[in-house]
Amino acid sequence: MIRFLIRRIALTLPTFVALMFVTFVAIRLVPGDPVEVRVGEHGISPERLAEFRHQLGLDQPVWKQFVDYVWRLFHGDFGTSVVTNQKVLTEFFTLFPATLELAFCALVFAIGIGIPAGAIAAVKRGSTYDHMLMGMSLTGYSMPIFWWGLLLVMFFSERLGWTPVSGRIDLIQYYFEPVTGFMLIDALLSDQAGAFWSALSHLALPAIVLGTIPLAIIARMTRSSMLEVLNEDYVRTARAKGLPPWRVIGLHALRNALIPVITIIGLQVGGLMGGAVLTEYIFAWPGVGHWLIDAISRRDYPALQGGIMLISSIVIIVNLFVDVLYGTVNPRIRHGR
Amino acid sequence: MHTQRILTLAGAGLAALLLSATTLNAKTFVYCSEGSPENFTPALNTTGTSFDAARPVYSQLVQFVRGTTEVTADLADKWDVSEDGKVITFHLRKGVKWHSGVNGFTPTRDFNADDVLFSFNRQWKPDHPYAKISGGKYDYFSDMDMPKLLASIEKKDDYTVVFTLTQPDAPILSNLAMDFATIQSAEYADFLMKKGAPEQFDQIPVGTGPFQFVTYQKDAVIRFKANPTYYAGKPAIDDLVYAITPDPTSRLAKLKTGECSYIFGPRPQDLEEIKKDKNLTLLSQPGLNIAYWAFNTKKPPFDKKEVRQAFNMAIDKEAIIKEVYNGAGQPAKNLIPPTIWSYNDKVKDYPHDPEKAKAMLKAAGVTTPLDIDLWYMPVQRPYNPNAKRIAEIMQSDLNKIGVNAKLVTYEWGEYRKRAQNGEHMTAQLGWTGDNGDPDNFFFLRSCAAARDGGQNITRWCNKEFDDRFVKAQQTTDVKTRTKLYEEMQVIEKEDAPDFPIAHSIVFEAERANVVGFKIDPLGRHIFYGVDLK
Repeated sequence: MIRFLIRRIALTLPTFVALMFVTFVAIRLVPGDPVEVRVGEHGISPERLAEFRHQLGLDQPVWKQFVDYVWRLFHGDFGTSVVTNQKVLTEFFTLFPATLELAFCALVFAIGIGIPAGAIAAVKRGSTYDHMLMGMSLTGYSMPIFWWGLLLVMFFSERLGWTPVSGRIDLIQYYFEPVTGFMLIDALLSDQAGAFWSALSHLALPAIVLGTIPLAIIARMTRSSMLEVLNEDYVRTARAKGLPPWRVIGLHALRNALIPVITIIGLQVGGLMGGAVLTEYIFAWPGVGHWLIDAISRRDYPALQGGIMLISSIVIIVNLFVDVLYGTVNPRIRHGR
Repeated sequence: MHTQRILTLAGAGLAALLLSATTLNAKTFVYCSEGSPENFTPALNTTGTSFDAARPVYSQLVQFVRGTTEVTADLADKWDVSEDGKVITFHLRKGVKWHSGVNGFTPTRDFNADDVLFSFNRQWKPDHPYAKISGGKYDYFSDMDMPKLLASIEKKDDYTVVFTLTQPDAPILSNLAMDFATIQSAEYADFLMKKGAPEQFDQIPVGTGPFQFVTYQKDAVIRFKANPTYYAGKPAIDDLVYAITPDPTSRLAKLKTGECSYIFGPRPQDLEEIKKDKNLTLLSQPGLNIAYWAFNTKKPPFDKKEVRQAFNMAIDKEAIIKEVYNGAGQPAKNLIPPTIWSYNDKVKDYPHDPEKAKAMLKAAGVTTPLDIDLWYMPVQRPYNPNAKRIAEIMQSDLNKIGVNAKLVTYEWGEYRKRAQNGEHMTAQLGWTGDNGDPDNFFFLRSCAAARDGGQNITRWCNKEFDDRFVKAQQTTDVKTRTKLYEEMQVIEKEDAPDFPIAHSIVFEAERANVVGFKIDPLGRHIFYGVDLK
């Protein structure tokens, strides 16, 4: 197991280095630098431009900027935002709980509905339910997040008035300082009656929007994996032994069918982070996705580089964790067979 | 003893009841803004979003009358200007309290001259202890030429500050009403310096303004509460909340559901819907800006006035307004927008007359087909929603008079730099006013700016125009200045160094129960004086 872990960690190292390089180069390919973006029609004198570029280290050759950046990164220094003058790491971890809360709830929504729906579709293969579910999952998978989000807001918030449009809590009714950064927990800790419900109702639509694509993928994967497992000899044996159908399907078949689904769920984490960027924008959700869009438009190099590095690291770590989990569930993987 | 306890309990109960009643009756105004501020010190910032976030907390020496660009008293209740216009003496308001209890700071004194010196010296003197804090970029101080204009700022006594200028400059009062000239607390700065956390000065603001800062959560919310000691009286609303909502569609949805009281910039395509909704009110005002198409008067054939006039007649301005501005723009005939004093409405714009334009080109000795370049900005600006589309319309109009326009663009920074170096034949650009003073627009056609790297990209230098410009700068009498500016608009129209395209129209929306909000020509959002029915 330890050898497996070491091998996997060793494999992630080149990914990190490549990431550092790609994020560093990509942002510099976008025309304009932080100083020029800031200036506008007023223009700037060549002396002041030179002074500011020097302050930000932009007057150095690009290779030197990269070496400095890597050096600082290895010392845990993600730099300082050129826009807000705050440490990138501080900004990231102030905003990250909001993204994590949203992504977690979206995943719970996707798993909670996706796995049972997929399993039932497999059991009732060829039925109307099966066709309907597969059609819906295809639609869900192809849904543009932005459009889907606005559609839900128009229907549930504007037309029916069931959910708030955006934000994390009713700002008129409730006010408390964040403790954990997770609004659901903070609302509970605040002891303000109704705060938790308000936070939950604010979370509902963004979580559904962000969870839709993973839900479709998980449902399809569960269905096909279940179909395969249901034909296995041990399932037939279980049935022959006279076990009740819920035990055969729920215990013997589903448990084994979930192995590939775990991998798919792990892979969704990256997708969730990508989807969070748009979802956070529509729902004014103060997470890292929203922050990154802002950093791009203002050419905030340190924030953007640091943010992408941190998010990518989280995705890599989650995938590593899933691999380990997968290895535990399925020893054949662990031993490289 | 027993009775006393009952009385105490009853008293506490009553107090709690009163408190909860107060909470229930508290008026909360929610402004759905479009983004997070960079920080809360306006001197360090350049964006309207950041200025709006800091404005409730602060005051300046002088301020713009709400909803206008007229300058009036603020922390200075009066001021005198010397005969030669070079010395301005500000008499400061007495008894103005700093916000108390923010970030553990309790002020021990009222606002005085030390705070004025602190606020300007931080931006002006590189050796000031706060000069380098939070990046130390004071763009507006530098852009408004303050380092060049200021000879000294001195404290005569606790309530008198003397500004000495290097030359008379009428627009300086308008400059001092701008956000960069916000007055901050010298005592709070010392308090944080001693605490070893000077950077908090720009993150947790302490001011003398109508609202006191409560909390800020990045990309989520900024909260303020009414300042009961505000010198002009406590605001009508108790709590002011900025709900940061970047997407305009979500902002409108929140306005409809009552989650916002007021929203920033609805989309042009939503305006009809807002007008129809009886729960909402649409507000509009011409933006303090101009989009123009500049002719490089140093490059033939644009060195000839007749050619520039012909080009003015060749373009169908109305078509541009209709097609590109989508109702959110009005045709421009002068450099300054109609909201600025001294706007000369008597000036007649050139008619759209392609035949006459053709004839004028011929008379000016221009042989067609003529090849020119037509630069357009690669980005959307507040005054120009789509420079490329405008360029295409112009290209097609020019084609009709035998002119082939090659469309050219560069990356935005590069575009400005090249245009300011005069590399273009014709180029689109524009300007958003900073302080509502005509000088802040007319300098764009001044001789001083018609140099390499200067803002006058027409390179037009007309003595008649420039003499008046300089004279207006050095005169404080508004009547005289108005006359000079009106004449300058006639001169500019006749000489046609540019083709004024449009002034944008700014739209905002509020709930029908909001009273007293005045849409601001400078694009600022001011919630003092606003109430909820």
